[in-house]
Amino acid sequence: MYNVFLYDGTFDGLLTCIDEILSTHINEDEVVIVEKDKYQPMFFDKPIYVTLDKNRSQELRQKVINVSDKMIFKKIYYCFLSESQNKETYIYKYIKLVLKHGKKVKYLYHDDVVNFVEKASKNVSREIGKYMGLMRFNEIKGGVLYAQFEPTNDILVPISYFFRERLKSFKWIIHDKKRSKLSIYDTRMIKFLNGMNLNASFSDNENLYQKLWKLYFKTMAIEERKNLKLQRQNMPKKYWKYLIEKN
Amino acid sequence: MDILEKLQILGAAAKYDVSCASSGSKREVNYGIGSTFTAGICHSWTDDGRCISLLKILFTNECIFDCAYCINRKSNDIKRATFTPHEVAELTMNFYKRNYIEGLFLSSAIKNSPDWTMEMLYKTVYLLRHKYQFNGYIHVKAIPYASLDLIRKTGFLADRMSVNIELPSEKSLKLLCPNKTKESILKPMEFITRVGEEERNFVSAGQSTQMIIGATEDSDRKIITLSQHLYKKFKLKRVYYSAYTPVNDDPRILKVEKPPLLREHRLYQADWLIRVYNFTAEELFEKDENLDLEVDPKVMWALRHLDKFPVEVNKASYEELIRVPGIGIKSARRIIKNRVFHSLDFDDLKKIGVVLKRAKFFITCNGKTYERHLIDLQPEKIKLQLTEKAAAQQRMQQLSFFDKEIFTSVITGEI
Repeated sequence: MYNVFLYDGTFDGLLTCIDEILSTHINEDEVVIVEKDKYQPMFFDKPIYVTLDKNRSQELRQKVINVSDKMIFKKIYYCFLSESQNKETYIYKYIKLVLKHGKKVKYLYHDDVVNFVEKASKNVSREIGKYMGLMRFNEIKGGVLYAQFEPTNDILVPISYFFRERLKSFKWIIHDKKRSKLSIYDTRMIKFLNGMNLNASFSDNENLYQKLWKLYFKTMAIEERKNLKLQRQNMPKKYWKYLIEKN
Repeated sequence: MDILEKLQILGAAAKYDVSCASSGSKREVNYGIGSTFTAGICHSWTDDGRCISLLKILFTNECIFDCAYCINRKSNDIKRATFTPHEVAELTMNFYKRNYIEGLFLSSAIKNSPDWTMEMLYKTVYLLRHKYQFNGYIHVKAIPYASLDLIRKTGFLADRMSVNIELPSEKSLKLLCPNKTKESILKPMEFITRVGEEERNFVSAGQSTQMIIGATEDSDRKIITLSQHLYKKFKLKRVYYSAYTPVNDDPRILKVEKPPLLREHRLYQADWLIRVYNFTAEELFEKDENLDLEVDPKVMWALRHLDKFPVEVNKASYEELIRVPGIGIKSARRIIKNRVFHSLDFDDLKKIGVVLKRAKFFITCNGKTYERHLIDLQPEKIKLQLTEKAAAQQRMQQLSFFDKEIFTSVITGEI
């Protein structure tokens, strides 16, 4: 029989939940963590809902960083942003390993749990890396920049922080269409909004620069070196939908 | 002429410039628009699979020089165009804020005079940095024969500068570039190195250069020896190699049917070996003038020095490990970190990222070889196995794998 722990779907909620489990003495193999809204009750389960407690999540975060380092904590966070099945339960087991082995957890690459977290976080950081280059902003009426994307992983938060540095004196909006989430930056701070959609029309300049970019893109290819397969390897089709040069 | 037409002409004219790096800048600024990213970011990939990171354009393609290999040479009858500094700045800003690009790569043909041209490049970059407060990456060419004062002023605004060395020998240069001399290239190059060492915020991502491969008879040995010299003497960050694409019908140029891409790739690999792996040009070219096109230069070197192998993975030093084909810098570091905790076997190596296809001939794990008798193989047999496999893959049209191996490293040269 499993002990099913439910959390609210946020990262801090998950950390609170894990902190709660760590304070009990349940056998690790009998623990399952599921997001509240995705949970389907089973006959023999005893679900326990743990409410978010910022202090507890902050405490656990600090504890993990103290025994290991920020990079390892980042791995945990990125794993959380991934769409991997059962990620919550793996994160719980991984945190247990970190608390036991500290930084040396890196060398336990034989371990399924370590392997899982490594893979999931790598997948997320790769996608973030790709979107740093492949995100496309359109200038909409009022001079605001507006980007749409449909990432595989839930990367709106980290990607927004990247563009805060990059486009710090512009107002912009990034729209995760798959999850109906938005981030809005007003040149001072970012706001994250859920369940939002947006329709915007282009500014007067926008069409000209899209045309210029398409032309430039075509112009730069060297015919004698044509290699579409390589292009697709570097820039897989899943990114094309919002790429101006590919439409 | 409208901006679309100018972009088409002056973009096309710049597409043979190879450098796309936008990494490694350390300019200290805390104002304005944009930033540079230590690792560099690719923003798109063209139909030839090369990445676009910077808006790479010529300021003008009107040229008073007449270099044999160059599409923009004076004697060619082609459409000419010249930007204004304002136009380049507007293009850069508008592309940048839409996240099309990481910054600007500004090169130019030589119009009116070298100083006039350099002055225009300077004005453009000045406009971007000061009027538009642009903080993204800027790579500018230093124009041969331009005044050092102008080059100096520009260098304080740029992340990277480069002077193209064009050809690997003075003889070839004389043959193909009647208007350029060795000094006209080396003087500004040396100047940029010197100021860069003395001053902060001067060309903080360093200096690079480019040479054309296959338009003259220069051997790989000559090319790599020159690169080694450039890395040592001028502290260049990168030397780029550009397989010559025939654009002019000129009797002084070797007949080139197709750009020698595989040769270009081998040169990048050899370059990587001398820059990162502590190999020397002399080691790579003990007997031959040219690199082996069938196997990468590290395999080529290892096959000539089988007496240095096998290397015991659990004992070897870092220097020994990185000389094993299939073990790169990353794998070597991981091996050393991991073996402190437990001794490594072949399965562990796979997980660490070692390419056993190549490495298996050259290593032991706790005294054991990968397959029995593997180490007794003769160089010819190993080579046959490594190349037959590649050839078979090609025959079976599993081209994607083969392609990837060759072309992803075209830019990095990583082995």
